[in-house]
Amino acid sequence: MENDMKRVFKYFNTLTIILVTSSFAASQNPREISKKSADAIALGSMEMTTTLKIFDAKGNARSRTLNMASRKFGDVTKMMMKFTDPADVKGTSILIYDYEERADEMWIYMPALKKTRRVVSNERGKNFMGSEFTNADMSKPNIEDFDYKIISSENINGRACHVIEATPVSQESLQSNGFSKKVSYIDKENYLCYKIEYYDLKGKILKTQTIGDYRPVEGGSYFYYEMEMKNEQNGRKSVLKTEKFKPQSQMTEAQFSPSNLDK
Amino acid sequence: MDKRSFVLRNRKLIIVLTLLLAAVATVPLFSLKINPDLESYLPDNIESRINNNKVGEMFGTKEPIVVILSTEDVLAPQTLERIDNLTSSFLDMGILSPVQSLSTAKNIRSEDGMMLVDPVIESYPQDDDEIEELRESIRQNDLAYKLLVSEDFKNTMILLNSDLSVKDAELMNMIDSVINLYPGSEEVLINGQPYLRGEANEKISKDIMILLPLGLLLMLIFFWISFREFKGVILPFGVVLISIAISMSLIPLLGWELSIIGVLIPIMMIAIANNYGVHFIARYQELNATDPNTTMEEIVEEALSYLKRPVVICGLTTIVGILGLTVHILLPASQMGVVSAIGIAIALLLSLTFIPALLSFLKKGALHFHPDGESRSLIAKMLNSIGKLLARHPKRVLAGFAILFLATASGIAAMGVASDFNNILPAKHPFNKSIDIANSEFGGSKLMTAVFEGDIKDPGLLKRMEHYESELVKVNGIGSATSIAKIIRKMSTALNDPNEEGYNKIPDDRDAVAQYVELYSMNGDPADFEQFVDFDYTKAAMTIQFNAEGMRDLERVIASVDNIIGDDPALSFTGGYSLVEKEMSESIVRGQYYSLLFAFVAIFILLAIIFKSISAGLLGSLPLLFAVVCTFGFMGWSGIKLDIVTALLSSVSIGLGVDFTIHMFWRMKSEIASGREYRDAAVTALKTAGRGITINALSVMLGFSILFFSSFPIIKSFALLIILSLLFCLVSSLLLVPAICVTFKPGFLKNGKRYEKSV
Repeated sequence: MENDMKRVFKYFNTLTIILVTSSFAASQNPREISKKSADAIALGSMEMTTTLKIFDAKGNARSRTLNMASRKFGDVTKMMMKFTDPADVKGTSILIYDYEERADEMWIYMPALKKTRRVVSNERGKNFMGSEFTNADMSKPNIEDFDYKIISSENINGRACHVIEATPVSQESLQSNGFSKKVSYIDKENYLCYKIEYYDLKGKILKTQTIGDYRPVEGGSYFYYEMEMKNEQNGRKSVLKTEKFKPQSQMTEAQFSPSNLDK
Repeated sequence: MDKRSFVLRNRKLIIVLTLLLAAVATVPLFSLKINPDLESYLPDNIESRINNNKVGEMFGTKEPIVVILSTEDVLAPQTLERIDNLTSSFLDMGILSPVQSLSTAKNIRSEDGMMLVDPVIESYPQDDDEIEELRESIRQNDLAYKLLVSEDFKNTMILLNSDLSVKDAELMNMIDSVINLYPGSEEVLINGQPYLRGEANEKISKDIMILLPLGLLLMLIFFWISFREFKGVILPFGVVLISIAISMSLIPLLGWELSIIGVLIPIMMIAIANNYGVHFIARYQELNATDPNTTMEEIVEEALSYLKRPVVICGLTTIVGILGLTVHILLPASQMGVVSAIGIAIALLLSLTFIPALLSFLKKGALHFHPDGESRSLIAKMLNSIGKLLARHPKRVLAGFAILFLATASGIAAMGVASDFNNILPAKHPFNKSIDIANSEFGGSKLMTAVFEGDIKDPGLLKRMEHYESELVKVNGIGSATSIAKIIRKMSTALNDPNEEGYNKIPDDRDAVAQYVELYSMNGDPADFEQFVDFDYTKAAMTIQFNAEGMRDLERVIASVDNIIGDDPALSFTGGYSLVEKEMSESIVRGQYYSLLFAFVAIFILLAIIFKSISAGLLGSLPLLFAVVCTFGFMGWSGIKLDIVTALLSSVSIGLGVDFTIHMFWRMKSEIASGREYRDAAVTALKTAGRGITINALSVMLGFSILFFSSFPIIKSFALLIILSLLFCLVSSLLLVPAICVTFKPGFLKNGKRYEKSV
């Protein structure tokens, strides 16, 4: 039944596109484009060093440098983050088990207390590390959560892009994502996404994400070394700059364990 | 050469100019704007405003709005659901964040070595046991209990923070429509400055719409009863209309806006601006009755030369008294001083030009003068008995006054100053009901913010702040004191088990503080912290919530706060709207003193010049002093506080009251000059001038009584006090002034030529 519905949606979308941009046809399916765009990025298993800069509306900045690693073991993606800067939080580590079917598990190690604490939260903050990024921005978008529509073509940094509007398919997806639509600017050739605009539940622009400094990584995909999220309503901005990136983490499962957090 | 007076020679021009002026004056009226925001009238460079703005810049310029839901038990599932619905709708509005309520509250705690972060309300309780379980868990949560839910669980708050992007009325409409979208059995009450301003805004225009026509109608009736002649009604009425139009149109012309005080201006015009015209009509009717053969032009000339001097002098003293308001620091008060002084000057000018000019063209009417008419016999009788009392026992009268003075004046000690503007709205208005609930069930309706500067992650500073918080809540009236220190201590209960050393305390190590903060900011919205600490952790705000009734209480709380935190080296300053209100109230008191002083000095000088005698100045000021002191005393006894509106009354009553004394002096002087003794002169003055004074006073009081129909309680209090104050002026000029003259026989009444008799 669900599959039928999806097929109907797909059919309906295709129909819309045929009507809107009749010259392109099947290859221009916006869902396909969005999926290809998501697949072009090497997220999932990786190791990286990244600096998160959080700016307030007046331009004051706060900077955090972290080592991050993630790897999938069975149905769980395990992610470890360790602060290396500033000095007062250096060594603070977070371990997250992201299960596909059940609630996440999380541990935190605080060097000042010299102990690891399990954190059980039904309220996982939507914001990543208190920045303008959401936790969802750190992982692959769920393609099935949205309906897609090509609204135009535009040039970004000299590259021809599809402008694709994605709207949540259900009330549930709308609530969990917290926006009413997003408009993505996706390269027509290599499917890299350069810009995403998020609109709030009243249809007003909420945030603008710009993604750049794409570098190819092993296995034919890309990784963005720079990402910025600007909150258009409160003027705050966060910038994530990756210094080192390595796809396919080689860390063992034992290294992704709470007892290893203080290492 | 034309021997007629200037007015009659140029009468056509005068009429044309007046009508032209009236027509022009109506134009700016359309651009008249209302501004109910009292704070905006304070000069920008006032310390409390500077500090309040600084707090806003550091921790977000937002204005709190509190929505209170009252019911038997707020933990009933349908109430919790309503809170959920309201909270998410308010959040969706986008302009009210952060929104805090039971729906957003978190329960952070430690259990079995784990840190648990849950919503306070995970699911709606299904039975009584679950309700009690939830109640117990809220009692344990010091970030929710008594802050978001009252001790008895009958009231709960939804705290909204307006980002000031939407106008008051529009914002309140949006909030109302959200509340109406989710109806329920709970009573919903709102407070906050946007609500107060929105309500005041609506009531200011409503007041003018009701009071102005009512006042004009009352005046028309008064004129008709007094004169029974179309001319007698329409001429003074026209003068009042024109002077109202001019004074009101001056407000936008001078770049000002109409405040709540502005409601008084047209009513003051109705009460005062007719005086001079009334004298003229009365004189015309009197002359018409005494010699039916005189022409209208002759009557006008005669009346004009007879009235010119006393009317001008009385007008001037009134203007001078009201100009006392211009030295007031609060702009609406000085604006009212300027605008009404000009309005009265126009009324005075028109009564001596436009009325005679127009009257000279009109036909003489039927005879309407009844010197001993029935309506006046009561006054005549009263004045007769006063005269007898005065003639026989002047000293007893003086003693009586002394006793009355002391008895009333002793009330001054109890006179209070309002410390906020909540009494702008009636006590049973939802706004004040919600203030009452905030005061009795929550930590209080007033807020003060202490700003600390330094390394906020320094455990030493945090421990001091924590200590202050515990000391502050011991002060009577302070309901809560919250800062980042409290949140860090709360974090320690989640990161340590109860048997561990670090449990429920600020850590000793700065790094530990930094790591607590990092963990918290990872879990919450970045905006959660904004109200407590600035972005780079160099400034922290301690929010002190309290309740204070009146200025003395407010000063006590502020002194206690200063006593506890004042010496901390990291304390930068204290700010908050309550301190702005306090400074406004102080400026009201100061403004009151300044304008009183100004009025007294100016009236003293004027009297001294008019009667060419210092003692005339002193003696003439005495009834005013008596009236002012007695009015303040009455305020003390009755509990009416000095506020933004009542502080205006002494200038107005001095300006009006001095006229009574001048009339009495005038007549006594005239009688003494014609050879009478002081005693006889006083009795005669009472019977003649006394009658005019009484009628005049009553008509002014009647005019001001319109203000009883205002929707603002503080304006109703003003009406009561101004009427009372005028009564004190009247009584003292009818009794005290002649009694002193009879007893002390001041010289200034004796010298000089015989003056013309006035009213």
